[in-house]
Amino acid sequence: MGSSRWAVRDWIYVAVFGALWGILEITLGSYLHVLFPPLADTFVVGLIMAGIGAIIALVGRWFVPKRGSVLGIGVVTAIFKAFSLGGIVIGPIVAILAEAILMELALWLRATPTRLLYMLAGALAVSWNFFHKFVMMWLLYGQGIVQVYTKMVKEGSKLLGIDVAYAVAIIVILFLFRVIVGAVAGWIGWDLGRLVGRRLARE
Amino acid sequence: MSVAARFRLNSISYLAFLVWTLALVALLPDARLGLFLLAVLAVGALLGSSGLRILTRGRFWLTLASVVVVSGLLLGERDLQWGFLRLSREGFIIGLWMSARAVALMLAFAISLAALSVSEMVRLFEAANLRGLGFALGVALNLGPVLRDAVEAAYHTIRLRGGFRKPAQAMRLFLVTVIANALRYGDDVVKSASARAFDLDAKTEPALQVGWADALFACALVGMGAALVFAV
Repeated sequence: MGSSRWAVRDWIYVAVFGALWGILEITLGSYLHVLFPPLADTFVVGLIMAGIGAIIALVGRWFVPKRGSVLGIGVVTAIFKAFSLGGIVIGPIVAILAEAILMELALWLRATPTRLLYMLAGALAVSWNFFHKFVMMWLLYGQGIVQVYTKMVKEGSKLLGIDVAYAVAIIVILFLFRVIVGAVAGWIGWDLGRLVGRRLARE
Repeated sequence: MSVAARFRLNSISYLAFLVWTLALVALLPDARLGLFLLAVLAVGALLGSSGLRILTRGRFWLTLASVVVVSGLLLGERDLQWGFLRLSREGFIIGLWMSARAVALMLAFAISLAALSVSEMVRLFEAANLRGLGFALGVALNLGPVLRDAVEAAYHTIRLRGGFRKPAQAMRLFLVTVIANALRYGDDVVKSASARAFDLDAKTEPALQVGWADALFACALVGMGAALVFAV
């Protein structure tokens, strides 16, 4: 991401989308944390915030059509969030960076993105939500992966109305659900980019 | 006066401290976590960091206590009776080690973050030849309050017009409005930068340089880390 290839406008747009994602994380994220009990955090709040984050970052890629822009937006968002809240914010920062890296990886596949690539990027980003708790448990506490798995199966069993004995099926469904939400976020990101572009062009 | 202020440690030292903590959290066996935690606290105290304030927060201790309690309830063989609860001694001990790792990480994170101002962060990016990213970060942090107002204004406008009766359409309208407004602000910033003949490639501030104090601090961290990892 050398500055020589990027115009000032590109960096300012990266800043705008980074700030926007950061603001939504802080305002909407805090609101959702109050609305939903802590136990539902990773699934409900994490999923919603990951989806919205993916949409914002992918729309950002529409306006800064350069490789590395989504990663830049993610880095700005992560630091924005760190400076805005302070205290214990390791989890969301790791999540934001991981989502940005995954989206960037998908978008590296082709120089000119397509709707399908946007959907792949969204799916990869939101599917991080599935692995996030495992990684955080390992990172923060050095263990606990089995507990996360057990809890995920129990909660999934309640949510889906499937017996705990079908643990693998529950895990697969929970993962696929995230992939679908992510793909939808990618689809929306593609459409929104076009819509906003048209709206701005009309002015 | 703190060690950091007296010897002029720069942001690179704080980042080195964060990386050092991350590495040792991954490398150290449980038995040495107590010593490691003391080392992290000592470094934090020496640096005179306001990051240590997280130790005074109730939420911080509540999170850690919940880890210990839940571990006592869920892990290991239940060999303790406390009222109607059957708890595990082994689970409690595992919970304590888990909490020790978490405290070390959270402290290192808070100490490093408390020491970094926006301008320091921008200079750090410049030092890493990522000047554009540093510039973007500065713009984002300054645009924050303006964009926040724009987000709130869009939300209230749609709500007052009854837009949320159709949530999907309202969400789309909300996002289009917010993003379009944000880009307009962005264009204003671009115009201001152009009017001032702003050039990203022109140097304005001296980049961060590693001084002897930073080198000494890094050596001390490496020595302390080696002692903790290899001590018999």
